[in-house]
Amino acid sequence: MIDEKLLIWKFNRGSKDAFQMLYEKYKDDLLGLAITLLRDRSLAEDVVHDVFVSFAGTTGSFHLSGTLKGYLSTCVANAARDRNRLRSHRDVELEAAEAMGCDSGDPVEHAIDSEQSGRLTQLLGRVAYEQREVIVLHLHQEMRFKEIAEALGISINTAQSRYRYGLEKLRSIMNSMVTK
Amino acid sequence: MKPVKNIEEFVKLEKPHVKTGGAMDERTLNDSFAVMDETIRAGKPNAAGIILRSRAAKLAAAAVILVGFGLLMVYRNPPMPQQPPQTEIVAKSPAEMLTAMSLNMAWRRGGIEAVDEQSSKAFKMLESKPAKASIQELLLELNGV
Repeated sequence: MIDEKLLIWKFNRGSKDAFQMLYEKYKDDLLGLAITLLRDRSLAEDVVHDVFVSFAGTTGSFHLSGTLKGYLSTCVANAARDRNRLRSHRDVELEAAEAMGCDSGDPVEHAIDSEQSGRLTQLLGRVAYEQREVIVLHLHQEMRFKEIAEALGISINTAQSRYRYGLEKLRSIMNSMVTK
Repeated sequence: MKPVKNIEEFVKLEKPHVKTGGAMDERTLNDSFAVMDETIRAGKPNAAGIILRSRAAKLAAAAVILVGFGLLMVYRNPPMPQQPPQTEIVAKSPAEMLTAMSLNMAWRRGGIEAVDEQSSKAFKMLESKPAKASIQELLLELNGV
């Protein structure tokens, strides 16, 4: 935590090394969040890219009230929501695994990634976006409901009810899969 | 798939562990560094920026402005040159001060010192001081005593 504050302090003084260390620390986690929300690796990479570029633009004036992880997760969630709205209403639920393909790197590595992230991503794909958002921010990003509510501009009760209904939906989906 | 009792545990365990690709890292870092350079270049603190950020500098700037304003006012409206002290306006003329009645009143008021003082004032106003005349002589001359 102290190290992170030091890195942020250095970043605010224009240190690219500090920025790179922060990027290395959070990039994979944020990419996972974006993939879970968007179910499209290419879009998710764009979101994470945009978030870090915006973050870089705050050098010299960046003030953090909570945690950097929470801040960046909120940025990714907001950017993902915008992308999701803009995205054409094509059905991506069952195409998630195929859509994991991206513009970079090793196909084997991405095949492993797809396998690891695919099952939950497919299941969450059948949950409403707003519910999925709260579930992922709470359970994966370890954000409290209060933080989520502030980040999304909703009340705490709304955040909690979205979480509850989302989990119920997920449970019913999984139970239906068992009975089949 | 088995029924899931604790859905929260399942979601936590199934958290995707993905890794960014080298191309994405390179693209993101290059773009971010470019933005950082641009921000630093655009936001180099100037004098006004420093003043606005620091409270002490704000106070110092306010003091400098006040002093400058004061100096400007002094320069534009220089203080009036000191007037030479006005001649004391007195109610009585020297001649009146030296009348028998006036000197008598001075005698009653303060004795011989008051008479001496009043006569000195009168002579001073006349800007002539008798070189040799004494009070007794004056009294003698004026009152005939």
